[in-house]
Amino acid sequence: MIGEYFRIAVRNLRVRSMRSWLTILGIVIGIFLVISLVSLSEGVKDTVMNELDMMGGNLIMVVPGDISDMMTTLIGGLELEDRDVDAIKRVRGVDAVLEMPWASEMVRHEQKARMSLLYGVSYDSGFSIVREDMGWDVVEGRFPHQGRREIMVGNLVPKDLFPDLQVGDQLTIKGSKFTVTGIMRSLGNREDDLAIPMDLDDFRNITGKREGTPIAIARVAEGYDVETVEQEIRYALEDTRVRGKGEDSPSFSVLSSDAVSDIVGNVMGVLQIAVFAFASISIIVGGIGITNTMYTSVRERTREIGILKAVGAKRKHITSIFLVESGIIGLIGGVGGVVLGVALAKGIELYLGAGGMFYIEAHISLPLILFGLGFSFLVGCVSGLLPARRASRMQPVDALRYE
Amino acid sequence: MSNLLQIEGVWKVYHLGKIDVEVLRGVDLNIKKGEFITVLGPSGSGKSTLLNMMSCLDTPTKGRVVFEGEDVSHMSEDELATVRGKNIGFIFQQFNLLMHLTALENVTIPTVFQGTSRAEREKKATSLLDSVDLLERVDHRPGELSGGEKQRVAIARALVNSPDVIVADEPTGNVDSKTGEKIMNILKDLNKEGKTVIVVTHDEDLVPYADRAIRIKDGQIV
Repeated sequence: MIGEYFRIAVRNLRVRSMRSWLTILGIVIGIFLVISLVSLSEGVKDTVMNELDMMGGNLIMVVPGDISDMMTTLIGGLELEDRDVDAIKRVRGVDAVLEMPWASEMVRHEQKARMSLLYGVSYDSGFSIVREDMGWDVVEGRFPHQGRREIMVGNLVPKDLFPDLQVGDQLTIKGSKFTVTGIMRSLGNREDDLAIPMDLDDFRNITGKREGTPIAIARVAEGYDVETVEQEIRYALEDTRVRGKGEDSPSFSVLSSDAVSDIVGNVMGVLQIAVFAFASISIIVGGIGITNTMYTSVRERTREIGILKAVGAKRKHITSIFLVESGIIGLIGGVGGVVLGVALAKGIELYLGAGGMFYIEAHISLPLILFGLGFSFLVGCVSGLLPARRASRMQPVDALRYE
Repeated sequence: MSNLLQIEGVWKVYHLGKIDVEVLRGVDLNIKKGEFITVLGPSGSGKSTLLNMMSCLDTPTKGRVVFEGEDVSHMSEDELATVRGKNIGFIFQQFNLLMHLTALENVTIPTVFQGTSRAEREKKATSLLDSVDLLERVDHRPGELSGGEKQRVAIARALVNSPDVIVADEPTGNVDSKTGEKIMNILKDLNKEGKTVIVVTHDEDLVPYADRAIRIKDGQIV
């Protein structure tokens, strides 16, 4: 029986094909938005969380300024001084401290000169952190030795910056020559992969800045509680500033890597809910389009309804015929939306992979696709409910008389 | 012959705004099984409304309609639909075929609501279309058929659930006289096979086909 309704519905949709397609388009757009936006935002979240996960759970980030104002802190040039870093190093339970200032400088390779981001990495006190806790590794060559004017380069430097660069080549930075000993494994985003990390002393010689770092990362020694050490660092920093410089309210942000992951995870979560909510609203708008089309259809087919009733159709039969029809509109819209949404998400993934700032893997999950199809079908059925009810309640005598 | 339909003191009043229009005014009528009757009357006489009562499409304002021993005057819409689907075949003046379905599909429509299997439906419908000489037209849509062919498809549709009664509303109204004759002969044959046939018309020429002619004027049988 339901098969028969399906045939009748498809026939009717074909007869009014222009209107049917426009109505379907309303749902396509909504589902398209949900699928593409949700899969991409999930992908962004995966990328960011993966990068954060590369950091071990026993790291503590220290940045000057308030965390709620982190962007201005990082961009605005607030820095930790050497005595702050020393204070962190002296805290019981701190195993190693990594300082990591950065600067853009002109880098030369043979005849080519390019601007590149340089990272100063404190090789003596913090190199073990980048290797063991932040996942730095070389895919070619070896790690550089300290004090020998050796450097390694980000994964994309030999591809995008200096296409013929090889391990063993020399790079000139502000008049100083460095030997490239290794090419790093990708760190998951384009900016870092185009950067050149170097020993902190070399970095300071080149830039001329004797101290200061916008960020320090401390590693907690085994057997110590991360939260306790975090608190101790906070006290030590406050002491240094209040006693040493007479500030009354120094501000630092001291965050464990787990706390950072939590904050970022929460922000991403809220973002996803917002994206999802807005896309869902567009599906509801599509649903209203279905209701409108179905009402028109019911009015146009009044006589047909009368005929069906005369030859024995009950209310539930008429209701089913119209519900199946609106459900099909919803479902076709869902299929179209899923196809377009997946295509867009994959397209953006490919585009970014070929040269964007981030590498995002569009997160297209089966539940997301099933949701898209199920929800569109549901919206179709719900949208058809009132028109179908009106159709089923028509009196056969009145409907047959309708011209 | 036993009674098929008893109409007892039936009134039908329509409320048009503040005015009450009495379309049927105390109609009494008995139709026996196997009868061929015509209901005659000018337009506005109430014959269409009487047809609606006789074919369980509508219920009276006052009075009683008994169909095959069952009082249908107070039945719900769905109960009436069941009675119509099983027992009554309809033939309309404007054919009332579904334009986007083929002849075969149009004939099968009433069986859909009876839950008949598809294979069975199509077998029955094909043999009925064969019996009205439309076998080569099964895949044609109403737009591709002549008036007479459309009415024969409608007759096949009326017969598909093997009803006891055929109700025809001006069955020859939209076809030429020769085709009308052919249609009336089909109805006469059906009557000979035992079906009760009720034809509502204003055309006196159809009277000779019937066993009995009922004349209606101003909502009353005369």
